[in-house]
Amino acid sequence: MGWLTKDIEHAPCTVEISHKFESLHAHVRFNNGAVIYPGDEVKVHGPEIMAPFGEIVSEDRDATIVRASKLEQLWTRLTGDFEVMELCEFSFSEEVTL
Amino acid sequence: MNAHAGKHTADATTVEEGLAIAEEQDRQYTNEMATETAMANTLLTPRFYTTDFDELDAIDVSSVRTDWDALIAQMEADPNKGHFKKNEDWDHVDWENMEPQLKKEFIDFLISSCTAEFSGCVLYKEMKRRGNNKDITQLFQLMARDEARHAGFINDALREAGLRVNLGFLTQKKKYTYFRPKFIYYATYLSEKIGYARYITIYRHLEANPELRFHPIFKWFREWCNDEFSHGEAFALLMKTDPKLTSGRNVWWIKFFLTAVYATMYVRDHQRPAFHKALGVDPDWYAHEVFTKTSELSKQIFPITVDIDHPKWQTNLERLQKANVDLDAARKQGGVAGRMKALGAQARAARAFVSLYFIPAKGHQVPASTRMEPAY
Repeated sequence: MGWLTKDIEHAPCTVEISHKFESLHAHVRFNNGAVIYPGDEVKVHGPEIMAPFGEIVSEDRDATIVRASKLEQLWTRLTGDFEVMELCEFSFSEEVTL
Repeated sequence: MNAHAGKHTADATTVEEGLAIAEEQDRQYTNEMATETAMANTLLTPRFYTTDFDELDAIDVSSVRTDWDALIAQMEADPNKGHFKKNEDWDHVDWENMEPQLKKEFIDFLISSCTAEFSGCVLYKEMKRRGNNKDITQLFQLMARDEARHAGFINDALREAGLRVNLGFLTQKKKYTYFRPKFIYYATYLSEKIGYARYITIYRHLEANPELRFHPIFKWFREWCNDEFSHGEAFALLMKTDPKLTSGRNVWWIKFFLTAVYATMYVRDHQRPAFHKALGVDPDWYAHEVFTKTSELSKQIFPITVDIDHPKWQTNLERLQKANVDLDAARKQGGVAGRMKALGAQARAARAFVSLYFIPAKGHQVPASTRMEPAY
């Protein structure tokens, strides 16, 4: 990883979607043990995935990981905190008027 | 319509029946509701985060072991498991005759809540997957389970309204940002506790005034908020393991989070007048009620509370709210004049927030034992 250069990696991954009444969730797991660091970008290839209602689907796909440069990683670590309020749940969107 | 119509998948006794009900529902929605709502696709847009996973792994819960084990055991026993089912209490929702503004605001409520639960699940699952400390991974796994369950429940209410969630984000490019663990603790702890206070206040209000309950989902608020309560307890215990997190300079961070969370809630709620009017809730009364409860709860771990009865508190909340409305109007206006007005509104918002932040806090003694039970 260079200060200004981005590395690009390919990783096989498994996407799991649960579209059930009991649980709505979706996760992407890298099957080669790839780890995501601050500022990295991930793109899962292929068409959109959605499980029919009441089902869980699991699909193997390919993903591209664009690694952040050292500088970008540092920047993300320093500034990411400003967005931390996103973690709070306020019941409504931030749109002033609907 | 066939025999399955009107039934819910949770009522199904066999897989085949469940599938048949789901299919029938899909057909029904497609036929009847498509025209009205044009089958709006609701794109969930969760965010993706990383944090310092080594720091999470280094957490040692032995100083709060008894409380910790009891909380985990309670979450594992999953007393709410059977509660998130639609039963005969789930009465018919008259979407067609719902006042249009109320409908918009209520759907905004459902979508925002579903997204928040979904994002919580993504965050907690990531922490579970990347961690190596068994105590921590177990906790995050349990919390991810609850969030996914809530998201599923809200999703069902959205489907009834003819809205489909779209998980298109999965195959879009996503960038991972970074939050320090302590900020995650402060923000999520408060979010869970204020969530509990918000839901239980509405629940109790509707218990006393059932004629104002315009959607059955409010009947489930108590179970829902008990999960929020437990999650808050877990974060309180996590913070208890390291006294530095709630002392010294960090008290200023705590004050920042308390002020920011309360102020944001105030502003957002005041942007949804039809929703609150339908419930018969005055947003100013509601805000004060929720702040009072949240402050009382947060004394379990935070050494200060913000002074919500200070004369400057309400005044500056109102100024902040007004500045936010003006900012939006200025942005919509555009042009040079719009930009100037926007700058003015931003300055007023900043000043109001700073005034709120510098209202002297109230200090108090934090109890030796952190654990609490939901009591409101």
